[in-house]
Amino acid sequence: MDTLLYLLPEVWVSLLALFVLFLDLSWEKERHPQIGLMAAMGMIPVLPILFMQRQLGTVDLLYGMYRIDQVALIFKGIFIFAAIFVILMTREQSRTMERGHGEFYLLILAATLGMMFAASAADFLMLFVSLELITVSFYVMTSYLKTNLRSLEAGVKYLILGSISSACLLYGIAFVYGTTGSVNFSEIRHFLKGTPYSASCLFGLFLILGGILFKATAVPFQLWAPDVYEGAPTPVTAFLSVGSKSAGFLVALRVFHELFMPASSDWVPLMVWLSGLTILYGNLGAISQKNIKRLFGYSSIGHAGYLLMGLATPSSLGTTAVIFYLTGYLFTNMAAFLVIITFSSHTNSDEIKDYAGLARRSPFLAMVMFVSLLSLAGVPPMAGFIGKFMLLLSALSEGFLVLAVIGAAAVVISLYYYLMIVRTIYADTPSDASPIPVSWPAKIAMITCLAGIFVIGVWQEPFLNASFAAVKKLF
Amino acid sequence: MHPVTWALLSPFVGVTLLFVIPQSRVDWVRRISAIFAFIPFVIALYLISHYDRTIAGYQWVHKIPWISSLGVSYQVGVDGISVVLLLLHSICGLAGVLISYRITERVKEYYIFYLMLIGGVTGVFVSLDLFFFYMFYEMAVIPMFPLIGIWGSGEKYYATMKLTLYLTAGAVLALVGLMMVYMISGIWTFDLIFLERYLAQNPIPGHIQIFLFPFLLIGFGVIAPMWPFHSWSPIGHASAPAAVSMLHAGVLMKLGSYAILRVAFQILPQGAYTWMPWVAVLCTMNILYGGFVAMAQKDIKYTIGYSSSSHMGYVLLGLACLNPVALNGAVFLMFAHGIMTALAFASVGHIYDQTHTRITSDWGGLSKRIPFIATMFVLAALASSGLPGFGNFVGELLIFFGSWDVYRWPALAAIFGIITTAFYMLRAVRTGFFGPLNPKWEHLEDANTLFEKAPYLLLVGALVAVGCWPRLLTEIVSVSTGNILSHLSPLKTLAGL
Repeated sequence: MDTLLYLLPEVWVSLLALFVLFLDLSWEKERHPQIGLMAAMGMIPVLPILFMQRQLGTVDLLYGMYRIDQVALIFKGIFIFAAIFVILMTREQSRTMERGHGEFYLLILAATLGMMFAASAADFLMLFVSLELITVSFYVMTSYLKTNLRSLEAGVKYLILGSISSACLLYGIAFVYGTTGSVNFSEIRHFLKGTPYSASCLFGLFLILGGILFKATAVPFQLWAPDVYEGAPTPVTAFLSVGSKSAGFLVALRVFHELFMPASSDWVPLMVWLSGLTILYGNLGAISQKNIKRLFGYSSIGHAGYLLMGLATPSSLGTTAVIFYLTGYLFTNMAAFLVIITFSSHTNSDEIKDYAGLARRSPFLAMVMFVSLLSLAGVPPMAGFIGKFMLLLSALSEGFLVLAVIGAAAVVISLYYYLMIVRTIYADTPSDASPIPVSWPAKIAMITCLAGIFVIGVWQEPFLNASFAAVKKLF
Repeated sequence: MHPVTWALLSPFVGVTLLFVIPQSRVDWVRRISAIFAFIPFVIALYLISHYDRTIAGYQWVHKIPWISSLGVSYQVGVDGISVVLLLLHSICGLAGVLISYRITERVKEYYIFYLMLIGGVTGVFVSLDLFFFYMFYEMAVIPMFPLIGIWGSGEKYYATMKLTLYLTAGAVLALVGLMMVYMISGIWTFDLIFLERYLAQNPIPGHIQIFLFPFLLIGFGVIAPMWPFHSWSPIGHASAPAAVSMLHAGVLMKLGSYAILRVAFQILPQGAYTWMPWVAVLCTMNILYGGFVAMAQKDIKYTIGYSSSSHMGYVLLGLACLNPVALNGAVFLMFAHGIMTALAFASVGHIYDQTHTRITSDWGGLSKRIPFIATMFVLAALASSGLPGFGNFVGELLIFFGSWDVYRWPALAAIFGIITTAFYMLRAVRTGFFGPLNPKWEHLEDANTLFEKAPYLLLVGALVAVGCWPRLLTEIVSVSTGNILSHLSPLKTLAGL
């Protein structure tokens, strides 16, 4: 019974998924768009439950396969928030989807469930299964626009590369199992502390890294991101860029910072290189983009590079910086995607040039976009600034001066392409000056995002302290 | 009572209020902006009149712990240098808001960005915590982008992007430097007062200081603007709307010199001794190059833009000398030059709004049609050329005296620079304002009402007041510059200088 109580958030989301399935089957077609609102509302109670669970401390469940600690709770919070925003986005876009609204919400909930399991997984098998749950849901979601060739192409690309990365991950797990004799995290950690690790164990670790880098869209497994981001339905793009990426970094934190800390001298140099390359690839690639979703694909690679910077810092500062950055990134990116969805569902366009004069067509949308772009670039007093600040600080604390300078230079590069959008929105004259209506759920979601961006950006202490406290338990 | 915090909050309160006022109520938007630009002005006057001249160090310090785990605290306060610059900023800001009454397009957005700019710059001058210092620094740069991009003229898109990227690049470079200081000092605090005190006792090893100093010098030098990182500035001035040019040339450029003085000198004194002679060379380039390029310009805003970067060379020369006379002169010139440029840009803006040309030879004889504005521009030109009676003269003279023994050749070059200034400024006055009136400009409107004249009178008043009675500022400034130099002087013997 206790176990069930600890698993309440997961149980809740599973029941919600079943409920959505039930509504999808029993309600008539006209009422289907309503399901989204029900699903979004249904997710909200999970947040206070998670908040209360933080007093539990670290609890091991299911024979050590499942662990609830503060890091897991923070990440579950991020996933729930992301899912709520994505559901609301889907509702905005539901007109372009010909069929199966209910199924789509079901897939979002299933992916969320997978992310929540991944957050608490304390065992490589559990981890693999939950990651598969996420990826399989995404395979279907990316190719959901059946009549749209780009969407299908995105789905196929994601499917092929995703399965390779899963195989890679599984192969790595096998090597780690072979050398340490266990798939359980605490047992592996115990083993690594006592015994010098072997080369085959390290080989397994690098294979696992490959699987993670795919999720995180980091060099050298980043090539799929721009194509899939552009082709997938926009809510899925948003979910990929926030949810799936956060899940990737969560797993990376678990595997590298929690498990393989003793081997840090072997993987840190690699991580530093990957971080620098990913930052440069993403930010330089974004400069010439004409499609806003594609641009966000590249920029999300750039952000993955920044996050790798925190990963390359095997200390509580680095882990905290990653968690903090992801929290800010959640609100920032979601705000931007809410604008993109609202805009494209009205104009059927994702081209940056069509955003001309958005400030006159809808000052509110323009303002939200302006704030979120600045936050993505890392301008104070937005959330993105303090996240980048922490990451640079953590890189410098390990003495990675060149990496920090690359990160700082990329801020300038990113400011260039973000400000080009701002210029289009504010300074150019619109070809069609009709106002763009914003539905109330989207408006509420955007205001929530803005509040998140500014609260995290200005009043950082409670969030930082929560991350620091969560991380302290890891080491 | 924390007057400094109130001066800082006031523009942001204004921004918040503007958000809720409907776009159509233009009169209220203007009134509210003027009120919230006026409050810092009053506070700055209060601060400068109540500043205790007998003690060095920061006064009216207000501290709130912010992120204790990282050693960040909201800490503001002023010393003799920042109180003077705060006054400069509040004068220019207020004059800018009043001048902007001419703006008719997208008024609400304009004032929101303008007040944000004012707030950001105020924050830099009063912050005594490196985290907040950087934060406000960046917050001052970003509003410039829409301000120039939307309400500017000429090559505004190119100009605004160049400006933003240059300044951000400088800012992040300085940020990396500041973070390194934070890590190397090993005490995990961004508190500037504490850092100064701690580093005076436990200085950072010399070779590390010498390595780190360029990060801060170049980072802040971009906005100073130090040659060869100056090229964002003339085009930025030229494309910005009048009130933004005023704040940009008048105040924003002073942030660089101020930051070098406040942060780089205080925490890396030995680095300063090693690198400042190089600055003396670079600023000579500023003075001569800026002066010569200004002579070649036909567009008056470009002339003033290059002239500004030339005159900021004097300020940098004053800093490079590291002696009290020159340093006082540098701070004094920051104030005087800020007011002077604001005056020049305000009057040029008034003319440009009606003539839509900034080529002085297209104007011709404007003094007959708009005597008040013409007088204002002539006063600015005379002040810029270093005529006694204006603040610029005092500042430049102090810098020449201070630099003569230290850097003889740069000082000579600087004195020569005065001649170039006189050349291009007086030429602009002659071609633009005297001679026969160009018949095209028969319809020009002067600043007719007292309200329209008020910002100009405010600026001229300040310029003449400090020019005729320099003790008003030097007394306050010299205590604080003396304090900074006293931290530096023990090192002089160590470094063998």
